[in-house]
Amino acid sequence: MKPFWIIVGICFFCVMWINTPFPFRIPDGFPPPVYKFQNNPRTKQGFELGRKLFYDGKLSKDGNFPCSSCHQQFAAFATYEHRLSHGFNNQFSFRNAPGLFNLAWQKEMNWDGGINQIEVQPLAPLLDPHEMAENLDQVIIKLKKDKYYPSLFNQAFGSPGISSQRILKALAQFTASLVSADSKYDRMKRGEIRFNQYEQKGYEIFRDKCARCHQEPLFTDFSYRNTGLESDSTLNDLGRMRITGREEDSLKFRVPSLRNVFLTFPYGHDGRFTTISEVLEHYSKGTVQGPTLDTGLKEGIPISSDDRFYLIYFLETLTDSSFIKNPLYSDPDLGVRNSAPVDIH
Amino acid sequence: MIKKSFGFIQKHEKRVLRRIMRVIIFALVLCVTGSFLPAEDDSTVIIQYRAYVHGEPLKLNKKYLNPFGESFEISRFRFYAGRLAPVYSDTSLKPKISPGYHLIDFSDTPTTRFELPVKAGACNGIQFLIGVDSIDQTRGAQSGDLDPIKGMFWTWNSGYLSFKIEGYSPLSTQPAHVFAYHIGGYRSAYNTVWRVKLYSTNDASFMITKKSKTVIEIGIELDYFFDGTTALHIKDIPSCTTTGEMARKLSGNFVGSFTELMITPSP
Repeated sequence: MKPFWIIVGICFFCVMWINTPFPFRIPDGFPPPVYKFQNNPRTKQGFELGRKLFYDGKLSKDGNFPCSSCHQQFAAFATYEHRLSHGFNNQFSFRNAPGLFNLAWQKEMNWDGGINQIEVQPLAPLLDPHEMAENLDQVIIKLKKDKYYPSLFNQAFGSPGISSQRILKALAQFTASLVSADSKYDRMKRGEIRFNQYEQKGYEIFRDKCARCHQEPLFTDFSYRNTGLESDSTLNDLGRMRITGREEDSLKFRVPSLRNVFLTFPYGHDGRFTTISEVLEHYSKGTVQGPTLDTGLKEGIPISSDDRFYLIYFLETLTDSSFIKNPLYSDPDLGVRNSAPVDIH
Repeated sequence: MIKKSFGFIQKHEKRVLRRIMRVIIFALVLCVTGSFLPAEDDSTVIIQYRAYVHGEPLKLNKKYLNPFGESFEISRFRFYAGRLAPVYSDTSLKPKISPGYHLIDFSDTPTTRFELPVKAGACNGIQFLIGVDSIDQTRGAQSGDLDPIKGMFWTWNSGYLSFKIEGYSPLSTQPAHVFAYHIGGYRSAYNTVWRVKLYSTNDASFMITKKSKTVIEIGIELDYFFDGTTALHIKDIPSCTTTGEMARKLSGNFVGSFTELMITPSP
């Protein structure tokens, strides 16, 4: 009987040592997340594996396009200064790369909500011939040959083996953990600081004119709306209709979060707006009429030049500098980059 | 102060102990009642899917004519069958539905045959899903037959295909005369997932006895895939690879091609 208990004890400690629980903290004032790491318990090892995979070019066909090539930490994990991102063989992505943060609260992924769960999201860029252009068999072969991955997968999942499921679960441990909730706005909400009068005025205008869709605290209501952008003839992007096949969803796109909005330019599903001013200009006088245009935008949103001035002050408070400099989310080999590199894909 | 916090720990520990006791008692009750209940699955059914064209077993890459006289050959034929359970003629017997899915791939014949643990009883049919239901579609990264590596998962409009029929026909206007029916979609209006109940000929019932093996053969007559509720002429519809009205219609044709059911004891 005694040796049995000793073995049980040893096993228990091994499991504890192998899988260090890594609790997910919900920021104050945030609703419960949609993705609760169900069937994918968050551990330090799983998170670190996901992080390594996120920054690893092995996930792409030619090795040049890790997830992080289009999702750069200094740009709140959007592609810095690119309308469309660059992928395999000098090709462009179909849409503007969104920033990656607070994804655990997002029920569906992509601009059109076509992806129904965060764990299966990476399959889209990974297999897209314009983006990472790889296939799953090849990724698994490359990872199995690697010096480190087999043991990292073993540590993260408690048994040897590399599979698509494990790759995706590890990536979800990383991406769902990207929480941005420490902007100036958040500190104001927590009562640690106060807005200056410009920011305060901007906040009031924001609540009056923008918060119908960009609802606090995530700054989106996760709905799909036609904001009156003229369809681009080279992209012919039907938005949500591409997924549902319904006429009434034509030209609708997910309302993006405005957190870190200063870092995620260009704006719009095809990145057509370079600056926030251009976006505000569009809402005040540029919305194109159409059968699916959002009801609140039929006459545009009256934004005066004064409003614009204050709004920009407020929107700047949504930049979370501790998020983009958090070493936990950075490239495990390079650490935090403080500025955009000279050459970006 | 010390006393106070000590008191708290004691109280807290008591609560934890009580909780542990409750769990132990619950587990014991479960064990005791469990030992009195009859065993759930006490027999085995071997499911065998068979595909036919003109009443002959399907051969991949062999030339056939469809009911509209169009020449075609099939190079790939796969579908998901899931949540299987026997249909008992004794209605007091509630079937236990097996939770998993099987990718039936006719280029990999062992996948067309598998075992299913079932309850013994008089059976006159079988029920199963063609395709993957909406709950299982949204479970995230999955393994086994639902591993996306199997080539039955759409990446940009997440979801498992219900079935895939690919091949060549001189009448196809697609490049290299390929025809491709990649049929999927689980959202309400364009749902391609069907629950099928197939009954044996004349509703004859067959006794699945305890600890035996019974073979249930399910025949798919692909002629009806073309000549179904929606007439599928390869020259008009050489491909359907997105969700929508057409995919929904073709899934109906596919369901209609499940025609035969034979229940026999295992030799």
